Amino acid sequence: GQDRLQKVPITNIRNFCIIAHIDHGKSTLADKLLEMTGTVQKRDMKQQFLDNMDLERERGITIKLQAARMRYIMNNEPYCLNLIDTPGHVDFSYEVSRSLAACEGALLVVDASQGVEAQTLANVYLALESNLEIIPVLNKIDLPGAEPDRIAQEIEEIIGLDCSNAIRCSAKEGIGIIEILDAIVTKVPPPKDTLKNPLRALIFDSYYDAYRGVIVYFRVIDGSIRKGDKICFMANKKEYVADEIGVLSPNQMEADELHAGEVGYLSASIRSVADARVGDTITHFAKRAESALPGYSEATPMVFCGLFPLEADQFEELREALGRLQLNDAALKFEPESSSAMGFGFRCGFLGLLHMEIVQERLEREYNLNLIITAPSVVYRVNCSNNETVECSNPSLLPEPGKRRSIEEPYVKIELLTPKDYIGPIMELGQERRGEFKEMNYITENRAKLTYMLPLAEMVGDFFDQLKSRSKGYASMEYSVVGYRVSDLVKLDIQINGEPVEALSTIVHKEKAYTVGRALTQKLKELIPRQMFKIPIQACIGAKVIASEALSAIRKDVLSKCYGGDISRKKKLLKKQAEGKKRMKAIGRVEVPQEAFMAVLKLEKEVL
Amino acid sequence: VHLPFCRKRCHYCDFPIVALGSSASSPGGPGEGEDPRIADYVRLLLREVAATRPVSDDGVPLETIFFGGGTPSLVPPRLVAAVLDALRGRFGLSACPEVSIEMDPGTFDAAKLRELVGVGVNRVSLGVQAFQEELLRACGRAHGLREVHEAVGIVTACEGLQNWSMDLISSLPNQTQQMWEESLRCTVDARPTHVSVYDLQIEQGTKFGQIYTPGVFPLPNETDSANFYKIASKRLSEAGYQHYEISSYCKPGYECKHNVTYWQNRPFYAFGLGSASYINGVRFSRPRGMRNYADWVQKLEDGTWCHESSISETKDMAMDSVMLSLRTARGLDLHSFSKSFGEALTRSLCETFRPFVESGLVIAMDKEREALQFNEFESDLESEGEMSGSRMAFLRLSDPDGFLLSNELISLAFGTISP
Repeated sequence: GQDRLQKVPITNIRNFCIIAHIDHGKSTLADKLLEMTGTVQKRDMKQQFLDNMDLERERGITIKLQAARMRYIMNNEPYCLNLIDTPGHVDFSYEVSRSLAACEGALLVVDASQGVEAQTLANVYLALESNLEIIPVLNKIDLPGAEPDRIAQEIEEIIGLDCSNAIRCSAKEGIGIIEILDAIVTKVPPPKDTLKNPLRALIFDSYYDAYRGVIVYFRVIDGSIRKGDKICFMANKKEYVADEIGVLSPNQMEADELHAGEVGYLSASIRSVADARVGDTITHFAKRAESALPGYSEATPMVFCGLFPLEADQFEELREALGRLQLNDAALKFEPESSSAMGFGFRCGFLGLLHMEIVQERLEREYNLNLIITAPSVVYRVNCSNNETVECSNPSLLPEPGKRRSIEEPYVKIELLTPKDYIGPIMELGQERRGEFKEMNYITENRAKLTYMLPLAEMVGDFFDQLKSRSKGYASMEYSVVGYRVSDLVKLDIQINGEPVEALSTIVHKEKAYTVGRALTQKLKELIPRQMFKIPIQACIGAKVIASEALSAIRKDVLSKCYGGDISRKKKLLKKQAEGKKRMKAIGRVEVPQEAFMAVLKLEKEVL
Repeated sequence: VHLPFCRKRCHYCDFPIVALGSSASSPGGPGEGEDPRIADYVRLLLREVAATRPVSDDGVPLETIFFGGGTPSLVPPRLVAAVLDALRGRFGLSACPEVSIEMDPGTFDAAKLRELVGVGVNRVSLGVQAFQEELLRACGRAHGLREVHEAVGIVTACEGLQNWSMDLISSLPNQTQQMWEESLRCTVDARPTHVSVYDLQIEQGTKFGQIYTPGVFPLPNETDSANFYKIASKRLSEAGYQHYEISSYCKPGYECKHNVTYWQNRPFYAFGLGSASYINGVRFSRPRGMRNYADWVQKLEDGTWCHESSISETKDMAMDSVMLSLRTARGLDLHSFSKSFGEALTRSLCETFRPFVESGLVIAMDKEREALQFNEFESDLESEGEMSGSRMAFLRLSDPDGFLLSNELISLAFGTISP
């Protein structure tokens, strides 16, 4: 495999990525490219080589990207092809944009039986913005339902891409792979020859290795980098020595030097991925580039939630686990939070819903933690009476009504692609979620694109699930945050026996407050066991009660006989009863079972 | 002393009993139709008594004996006498012991009762349960209303027997408030010295357990059932009975001394099938099956059975003390509790009960058993001084509301004792 390390002239380098919707066959195609170029021997082939997290494999999506350098001979000429994988979810659109910036071309893979989906569209637009050469590929032509001609036409209509030479392939059957490799060589432009310039390398990914520290993946844009070089990260302003550099093929192979146009990795005793942020520019300490590469931005969490361990003694474990995940996930933010209902936990910020779900799942699966998760919340901007603007992602920290003039909430532009049969149900959904209808275009005879402006808060619940269920799984969506708008929002508090339960507070649109309040109080009444006194359960906006339930007092709980033989048995029963009380959390004088909180939090996700 | 024989099993009963069938000894004719299983069992009992070592050699005699069942009145008086003799011989009897026996209507006549009194029985607990024919039938009782009235007549007419108790059950299926009021009226009219009022417990494995769900028709709902309890407390108090324990009422001075022993957490022996003893700090329940019990007696005689000396933990002792004392009107003696289990625990218990002292479910009392005002209770609780210096001396559950919620309140206390 050492031949893959051999340098080729820069004119023979091709850097490309694959843009595809989930399940349209990106990973299978990538596997086939590796196999066909001999980068990975058939016997070493694990299915879907590029996706190496369990979770990714299960969900069939890529979360962390990877890269692979391939050697391909065409017309007796050796070429170096670098495949840079991209994450396929909108939560990671920044990461996508950075890996696109490391390429000169992209394969647009579309399932020949399914057609273009919203997510694909968004990424194609990103690629076009970065001036990438796009090669359309119609995959799965072996399937009985494949209609490559129709789909080719669809791509032309929607994206405006010439599809007369679209490659028809079946990654699974190995059909059309050579054609793809040839097209990459002939169509994707080589990198610019800027070897003489000062070093600028674009970080497009990094991960934490317990033994070596952070491993940084980069594309050399200008100049060259040698093993042992003293380097500097321009945005982060940190200096390191590149202890090891090499290429990914797809396993790491050490190299001495990488030139402009090449893709590789380095390790430099970096302690956390936050220090090697995607999009940052690597340059030489001694011979600094004048300016950094464009496009860098900090990670801004869009969605927040509280994570609390189910068992209080798991707090430290949770802290450690979050810390470890953060080593590998610069976008994950967390800070300690405590609540009377949930005890000690963390308020965590995520790029989006999928990111949140991934982190939660990893905590539960890889770190064996049992978590209570509060309803996700977005970042509100509160315009205060004193003319300050504060950001607030935790409903319980919202400034009091008297101290605020207005609340702004983030809005997203959401594009929904759907077969025309589901336009009705999807418009209903948009309506229910306070969506502002923008436009509808028929992209083909049978498929439409609907555009809405929608509060992000309406999307963080079960919007996607609803979309899928109301379209029988056929609709797809894509969104981007477009800014903030003033909304008529209120903080809805829940009081149990007059005690506010902060963990259950939510920020809702005024028109929805009543319905939400009713649902929450009813659920709580169902789930809180009756106690020795009457318990009012109320939903309030400020001091005003908008929904109220009352849990009646227990009138009788007595075991009448207690003689010699009954003592042990009775004691056992009472001990069990006492154990039951211990599992509850005290809200004032009221014992509330953990399950009640969890059920209400779940409900909040559904009704908000 | 458990005498497990019954004619048939009542529909609510989950005790270890032996059902003899309806042919079992009729009220009259001693010895006639006597079931050999009774004599066999009593022989076993006598063997157990003989094989049981008295706790101390200094001969503190027995103060109370309770023949419970089953239906002990089905056992021929000479066999009861045999057991009494054996107990007297083995452990000694105090000068005027309380000797109780449970009797069911329809299982005895005046002669049989006289005979029992003759051999030393001086207290009768009459299992009436209800004064309505349809309720007796619904419970699967082996007697009707006529037998109830006859039995009350026999007991009240019996010379040499002043002390007797009546058992009633509330919250029976289809029981109405009128029926319950009527039963209480009849009870008061019969003028027993003691009344036990049991709230029906639906036990798994009983006929009731199979067909009924607590709180669901035809059983009364929780509110009605609580109401029955309150009515009993009211009517019996009005008639001069003291509500001295959750389900026990008595005319002044007629507490069941035997049961008081349980609630004061004092030691007791036990003999017979399924019975439970509390000796040397260890609670032990005998096998509930006749064969297992017989095998156990054999081992006891052979000396091959040895008590697992599981010494109770302090926590458990504190729980026993709280659980048992809070069942009684006397309540928890804070000074002696503090002496045994410490000042800190006593204080946290009071703290746990604070909201309930405020709401009236729990009553704090001084040495003279005067109830303290809530603010007095609070200032006692907050004072720095020793518990023994404070006015507060007892905590009890209020009658009827606190008693009605005793499980809740006691389990709260358990949570404080064992956090």
